[in-house]
Amino acid sequence: MLELRGLTRRFGAVTAVNDVSLTIPDGQMVGVIGRSGAGKSTLLRMVNRLTEPSAGQVLYGGRDITALRGAELRRWRTDCAMIFQQFNLVQRLDVLTNVLVGRLNHRPGVMGTVTSLLKMFTATERAMALQALDRFDLAEVALQRADTLSGGQQQRVAICRALLQQPRLMLADEPIASLDPRNAKTVMDALRQVNREDGITVLTNLHHLNTARQYCDRIVAMQAGRVMFDGTPAELTSARVQEIYGVTEDEFEEQAQEAVNPAARQSQTAKPGLALA
Amino acid sequence: MLGWFAFLFWWFQITPIRLWNGLSGLGTIVVLMIPPSPGALWLDILKGIAESVAMAFLGTFIAAVIAVPLGFLGAGNVVVNTLAHFSIRRVFDGFRGVDQLIWALAYVRAVGLGPLAGVLAIATADIAVLAKLYAEAIETAERKQAEGIDAVGGNKLLRTRFGLLPQVLPIMIAQALYFLESNTRSASVLGIVGAGGIGLAIAERIRIRAWDEVAFIIILMLVTVAIIDQISARIRRKLIGGRDTLAPR
Repeated sequence: MLELRGLTRRFGAVTAVNDVSLTIPDGQMVGVIGRSGAGKSTLLRMVNRLTEPSAGQVLYGGRDITALRGAELRRWRTDCAMIFQQFNLVQRLDVLTNVLVGRLNHRPGVMGTVTSLLKMFTATERAMALQALDRFDLAEVALQRADTLSGGQQQRVAICRALLQQPRLMLADEPIASLDPRNAKTVMDALRQVNREDGITVLTNLHHLNTARQYCDRIVAMQAGRVMFDGTPAELTSARVQEIYGVTEDEFEEQAQEAVNPAARQSQTAKPGLALA
Repeated sequence: MLGWFAFLFWWFQITPIRLWNGLSGLGTIVVLMIPPSPGALWLDILKGIAESVAMAFLGTFIAAVIAVPLGFLGAGNVVVNTLAHFSIRRVFDGFRGVDQLIWALAYVRAVGLGPLAGVLAIATADIAVLAKLYAEAIETAERKQAEGIDAVGGNKLLRTRFGLLPQVLPIMIAQALYFLESNTRSASVLGIVGAGGIGLAIAERIRIRAWDEVAFIIILMLVTVAIIDQISARIRRKLIGGRDTLAPR
């Protein structure tokens, strides 16, 4: 069980996340929605401490995550994998190695580090990686460089990498914001598959209400750093959306879309493959 | 401004007559250079050129390898401590201020005449410059890839190895190749102070006014440098390719 208690993050005078408390049971798929700047991303990044909280606590199974340091913190990050909007793969390395990167913190000792530095992974690890890739129809691109793949493929490789961490939790920060609708669907399907089949808790930021409704067991709506709604998709009616955000659902989608789009467009010019895929 | 120039001309005793005499002297040398001739000791010349190229290669290689860890130490996104980072950079700057030829003179005294002094001079002079260039390349590397390694739970070493090195290694090699090109040229001068290579042969032939042989050596050097430039340019193109990993996404 993941527990957030009074989690707060201030950037100078701006409070990005304001006193957020949530309890997420194991195995749930939770969608966090909100406009750009609502604090969704900061909230997620505080869970694996890529961003340090200004106040409040993150607990997992009763253990205080916010107090972890060094190797213990890295252990936690391995337990709680993260999927990024821009995939964050090592662009110049092949897909298989990128997936094997998920094993890095499972290789103890000096020998583990030395073999990791030399990219010497065991046959078992390679088999694990290939199995994960095969599960999402990526086995045939295993030896291609990551930057030759489409965005949707890269995001699924990122999910494979996350799976090799053997995590208990998966955080996904706008996983489909840089993808076209078809790729977005394959990635969301993959996340749900991970949630249903592997029993991994998924906490994902989304900007489409409908995607959140379709895929998540539970929706958390944020506005100006605060949680304004926390309930099932059925409870998040159009009237409720209007009440929280002061706009109709269509207007909300439009605003959310605008907020994510600059990034999406940028990544498309950088990788022409994305537009074609 | 004009007065300043006038002063310098007076100081160095630059007069039209001296300039004219100098030009005619240069003309005589050029005339003596034609036709270039390999002379009787052409085998020694070839050996000297080969030695210069080998010195440049070994010196650059040593510098390029040692500069990699130093570059990471000097990069602000790896060594986050500002004071440490600042002082490492200033040490690089300090080393950079001393020219290769000075190092060569020092090493000739330290390890004796010959190519070893030249290799060490090239390496020492380049380590700091390459380390600085490497550090700058590392600082412009994309943060996202390194963050991906952080999120996996990788430590600092692994973060550098997987999150940064693949991005900067091609750039590092390309820069080292540039240095190889320029060192092939400068390695020919090092011989004049006794640090090995073709320079000694040139100096000797200038002393005995064998200008035709000097011309031959110069032409040979130009060809060698051109060949190395070509090869390294081709490798560099292949490494960096049309795809620039450092372009913002």
